Amino acid sequence: MRSRWHRRLVAAALLSLPLASAPAAPRTSPPPAPAQTDSSGAARDSLLDREMRDVAASLRCPVCQNLSILDSPSQLARDMKRVVRDRLAAGQTPDEVRRYFVSRYGEWVLLKPRAAGVSLSVWLLPLVALAGGIAVVWSAVRRWVRQGAAGARGLESGAPGALALDTESLRARRGALRASLKELETEFAAGRLAPADLAALRQRDEAELAGVTEALKRLPKAELEGAGAPQRPVLSRQPGPARHVPPALAWGAGVGAFALVVALSLKGAIVARAPGGTITGVQAGAAAEAAVEESGPLDSLRVTQLEARVRRDSSDQAALIELGHLYLTQRRLKEASQVTARAILLAPDAEGTAEAFAHMGMILWSAGETQAALKSLDKALFLHPDYPEALLYKGIILFAGVHDMRAAEEPLQRYLDVAPPDANTARVRTMLEAARSQAP
Amino acid sequence: MTWRRWAIPVSGVPLLALLAYGLTQDARTIPSPLPGKAAPDFALVTLSGDSVRLRDLAGQVVLVNFWASWCLACRGEHHVLLDAARRYRDQGLRIVGVVYDDSRENASQWMAERGGDWPNGLDLGSHTAIQYGLFGVPETFFVGRDGRIAYKQIGPLDSAVVDRWVPRLLAATPGASNLPTVGESPGYVRTSPDFPTATGTVRRP
Repeated sequence: MRSRWHRRLVAAALLSLPLASAPAAPRTSPPPAPAQTDSSGAARDSLLDREMRDVAASLRCPVCQNLSILDSPSQLARDMKRVVRDRLAAGQTPDEVRRYFVSRYGEWVLLKPRAAGVSLSVWLLPLVALAGGIAVVWSAVRRWVRQGAAGARGLESGAPGALALDTESLRARRGALRASLKELETEFAAGRLAPADLAALRQRDEAELAGVTEALKRLPKAELEGAGAPQRPVLSRQPGPARHVPPALAWGAGVGAFALVVALSLKGAIVARAPGGTITGVQAGAAAEAAVEESGPLDSLRVTQLEARVRRDSSDQAALIELGHLYLTQRRLKEASQVTARAILLAPDAEGTAEAFAHMGMILWSAGETQAALKSLDKALFLHPDYPEALLYKGIILFAGVHDMRAAEEPLQRYLDVAPPDANTARVRTMLEAARSQAP
Repeated sequence: MTWRRWAIPVSGVPLLALLAYGLTQDARTIPSPLPGKAAPDFALVTLSGDSVRLRDLAGQVVLVNFWASWCLACRGEHHVLLDAARRYRDQGLRIVGVVYDDSRENASQWMAERGGDWPNGLDLGSHTAIQYGLFGVPETFFVGRDGRIAYKQIGPLDSAVVDRWVPRLLAATPGASNLPTVGESPGYVRTSPDFPTATGTVRRP
């Protein structure tokens, strides 16, 4: 019974698989904001505009994350839209324009991959998975129907043992009936049983024994030979010499191969740290990326909110600072430095601007401007001597960028003193120990 | 019945293989179709008011460097360009800067502060950037004597990359390969005639 439920669950899971793995339907782009369209207003351009929007919606913006050039407000996307429009106006077909962009940026530029070559698998795999799911469910349903019919037949035959369908319980029942018959004889011999009762009870047991024996005979020979085999529903098992090994073997081979490739691809990434080496990576850039946490999808939403806030009120320093930090986590250094600089200019000497200076330090360091970064962080610490973020960044830059272990000790130690324990604490402690062991 | 016991595990194997293959790929690298192709020509007005045309440099090894004054990573690579100009100029290396998404004032000030006497063309409207399939700045294209893009560097240059490519390209003689030279290439793309304005052009019916 458990196994049947198990199969049902597997089938249900497989059925839901194709739905989950089907590619997102080609996104219909929202109507563009009026400010973003090259609206000439003239009726004769409406066809051109429509074609331009169609093509622009199908091209990926190179400087954005999964935005079409139609939806992107970036300068490059605007320029690309103009190129699309000019080429259409010059008489090229939409496909020719798309081919032009593919010749410059590769197939990557197409938001909807072509149904050819390797990209074809993106279109076919969901269909294959759907077909597989349907096949599994269909066969499972057929099996349930057959099992149901077999169970009903067993009931109709009236054999008392028919419900106990597996060899083991049939055998046990046969043994119990034989023992019971022997016991009846003993009881009768001992005078504890009347002859009429003996006949009635013996008849009852012998009838059941005949049924059980008959049921055991009907079972496939292989089942009877496998004495002591684990209990399994008899009717769902089929004879065949190959059936014990293959599924496990196939799964094992597949998972093994997967594990092998995972191991091989991780081998290059996992390196034993040299004594005193940097914690977050060998290169300054890698350390910067590790120090600035990766951005998630929610951040994009927050970025949009903050951008709106800044548009409404350009002197909203808190929004500018947070936006600058989010841009930094998204590696949009140009925008990050722009909004952070604006935040600094709003109140260059206020204590609250320390955060902006700290972020600016990280932005500058990400850009390879180590000395300017340290200056900005010093300014942050001047405004707010115990600002943990500035202490952390300064420590990391001195440690991993400048390799000045002695200078790195002080900000790292002060960070541990002032910052509440968090995910960085352990890393900073290790870094500090390494700095101490390496300092001259 | 037996095939069903096989079907599920066996169909899982190619999926796992696909996943495993994906793990060996770097999702952040986007293959560029440009290396090996003729470098798109461009004619731009430089910061000093002259003009620079890639075609005029046919037969020479050219670094086409896209940059902007707002680009922080470009600052880091500038000394690499200065160094490359110093070391390889006598052997025939030419550097052409293309200023992307920037103003003449800012770019001129930037060059005045940091040095470098190579021509820098202002790419108004990003036409050249799009011709070169630009993702961002800095990007540098190594153009050989045959007028073809030999290598595309995404992100800041370093001396190792320069030293790996420039001597090799300088050593190649223009006639050594049977590739068409810059001026003759039939697939050569010219910038200006490709972008007529919407007004005064023939529209498709």
